Amino acid sequence: MKVEVVNLKKHFGATRAVDDVSFAFSSGQVVGFVGPNGAGKTTTMRILATLDEPTAGDALIDGASVVEEPERARHLVGYVPDSLPTHRDMSVHDYLDFFARAYSLKGTHREQIVASVEEFTNLAGIRDKMLVALSKGMKQRVSLARALLHDPPVLIMDEPAAGLDPRARVELRELLRVLSSQGKAILISSHILTELAEICHAAVIIEHGRLLMAGAMGDLLTNNVPQRTVLIRVLGRHEELYRELLQTPGVEKANLIGEEVAAEINGTEEACYDLLAALVQRGYRIIEFKQQRANLEEIFMTVTKGAVQ
Amino acid sequence: MTAESALRETSVRSSLSDRLNPIVVKELRQAVQSRFVIAALMTLLAIQLVAIGIYLLTSGDSLLNFDAGRGVFLMLFSILQGVSMLFVPLYTAVRLAAERSDTNVDLLFITTIKPRSIVAGKMTAAVVLTVLIFSACMPFMAFTYFLRGIDLPSIFISLALGFIVVIACAQAAVFVACLPVNRAFKVIFGIIGLVLFGMVYFATMAGVSGLIVGGIGSRIGASDFWQGAVILLVVIGSLTGLFFVLSVSLIMPLASNRALPVRLYVTAAWLLIGAAALIYSEVEDNHVPVTVWQVMFNLAFAVALFVAVSERDRLGRRVLRAVPQSPVKRAWSFFFFSGAASGLAWAAAMIGLTLAMTWLWAELYPSRNGAGDLVGSAKWLGGMCLYFFCYALSGALLRRHLLNRVGAGLTWLIGAILLSLGSIVPVLFGYLIFFGDQWWSEDHGKWLVGNPFAWSNKSHRVFYASVAGVWAVMAAALSLRWFIARVKSFKPLNARTGSLAEDDDE
Repeated sequence: MKVEVVNLKKHFGATRAVDDVSFAFSSGQVVGFVGPNGAGKTTTMRILATLDEPTAGDALIDGASVVEEPERARHLVGYVPDSLPTHRDMSVHDYLDFFARAYSLKGTHREQIVASVEEFTNLAGIRDKMLVALSKGMKQRVSLARALLHDPPVLIMDEPAAGLDPRARVELRELLRVLSSQGKAILISSHILTELAEICHAAVIIEHGRLLMAGAMGDLLTNNVPQRTVLIRVLGRHEELYRELLQTPGVEKANLIGEEVAAEINGTEEACYDLLAALVQRGYRIIEFKQQRANLEEIFMTVTKGAVQ
Repeated sequence: MTAESALRETSVRSSLSDRLNPIVVKELRQAVQSRFVIAALMTLLAIQLVAIGIYLLTSGDSLLNFDAGRGVFLMLFSILQGVSMLFVPLYTAVRLAAERSDTNVDLLFITTIKPRSIVAGKMTAAVVLTVLIFSACMPFMAFTYFLRGIDLPSIFISLALGFIVVIACAQAAVFVACLPVNRAFKVIFGIIGLVLFGMVYFATMAGVSGLIVGGIGSRIGASDFWQGAVILLVVIGSLTGLFFVLSVSLIMPLASNRALPVRLYVTAAWLLIGAAALIYSEVEDNHVPVTVWQVMFNLAFAVALFVAVSERDRLGRRVLRAVPQSPVKRAWSFFFFSGAASGLAWAAAMIGLTLAMTWLWAELYPSRNGAGDLVGSAKWLGGMCLYFFCYALSGALLRRHLLNRVGAGLTWLIGAILLSLGSIVPVLFGYLIFFGDQWWSEDHGKWLVGNPFAWSNKSHRVFYASVAGVWAVMAAALSLRWFIARVKSFKPLNARTGSLAEDDDE
């Protein structure tokens, strides 16, 4: 199962909501979809869920085009929008039963599916509660349960963690981990970047509808930062090391923190290796040389300008 | 009950439940859980009980009259009809409008439910609710029979008429709820709808009173009664059907051929009602049915011209998937696809066909009763449609070339502004400059040029027609390149290359 977004464009009049975006992900992967407000995340997700039609380009869900075969594509996708269910006079169970019927699930099979989804999303205990009486976290779980009813191999989740309290967020994260381990391909947008970094295997960053960066989380965190910080600890001579680093070409900045020296280096990981080799050659007795990894938030701030369309 | 029969019953119930439209199941579950529904039903029953009690307690000797049952029935019917016409449409429409305002309808589109099933489900639930209300009140209604002065056919036919009117109103309300406008506009349309419902209520009450006073039982064998009943049913049925397909079309996703159900329905209704009108005209030896048919449909097609120019200019790729490969089929299907060019072509063709059929019928039977009215109304409506064509096309030209920041969906508004200006400005100009102290004379009628509804002024018709004709030719000539480009681009998806260059307007 592979999801491919190919040169996707969506224009609303003069506004280019999505402008030539391409990326791909596959089964078992959780992909973070990151961008400032108005970057085109929701539009892209709605296209993937077959709710909107692209102006140009295409998205293929397991080879099914959302333009040419939307009927086939939509059966492969479970979509969790950023809004929550608001039906009045409806219980959690009735809501899920309604959508199960809408997916043409019949008889006892439907009952079993609804029961198992309620069990999985931990809703069994509140199945008779009215939707309006639920907390945001509970509603989000109902929304996820609805998207899982037809057992889609792909999940598209638009800001599922927005407004959730820490406990609900942890629970959601755990659910996503389980779903990912079940082989579902998950595209998830969120503003809580630290959280995304914890659960995502890859990330896609867009702004102004344009793709800025996409790739495995490890690659993004190591390859795409202009500056790297290394923490160096030596036996003795730490002040000497600090002064020497300040004069070393390629070292942008150095700070002496207790017995540790933090050095900001311009360049790739090779530059780190070169620095380490040079220090060893100069006789420093290095007991720790650790590269501090950038986090998703830093990368996001570096690559985006924060402008809204 | 044995275990086997209990199991069989459960299985039958489950199978029946599976066959039901999910929207119906959901709506009825919500209605059962809704305090509002229960409260409305109980209040209605209480009012009926109190009303009948007060009547019986206060009427004294008048109960011995032979018309007591009639009076009580009309009183109860007015309460039932009033409450049903207010409650059922309002309840159905408000629920739908609330669901449409969030992503719920979107979520349904990614299930196997079709937009048609959504509207049909809402309407079925409205029917069930109305049946519930009417059956709850039925004992009170039937009781009036024992008070004398009313026969059972009168009771049941009146209730049937009331029921049909409530369902038609519910469908109209669903249409308003489906309109893609903001809440403020919905409230405005809702208020207009309520006023119209009030008028329908009084018309229904007048009709039912007339029927009850005359007694339906005595007329039930007469052909006149059934003729009237069939005509009434056809009119209410056609309007309800139109509102149904319009509602379906409005909730269909943007990336679909939204025009198809509406155009197919109107074309089929035009054909069937037209055929019935011709037969009726032949049987009655009178042109009135054909006159009514041509007026009714030309008015509808004139409005359709404004709707057409407000449709999206280019078709999406999903819609193009359905374009037939065969050139002959493609030529026919062009008229039934979404898009401004297709809509204009369909509406203009239907106006042309209606006028041609009317002219042919008048030529075939020139001495039949009502021939003058048939020809006169056709000329009037023909002229009106020509002006509507000019205004709609000019609005579209303006939007494309000068006001291209305005979305295609608002082209009707530009056309309507032009129509208002064209109707008012010439006559105002004439009044200020030329009318002098003689504010109106027959000769001043020429200043009504530009007003599509001024065709009753026979002495200036040639002038009006000449201006409209020249204008229509100019507007059509200026739109020709655009129209040809749209016809050329009407090809199946696999016959096209590259992406769609045009931006989405919606």
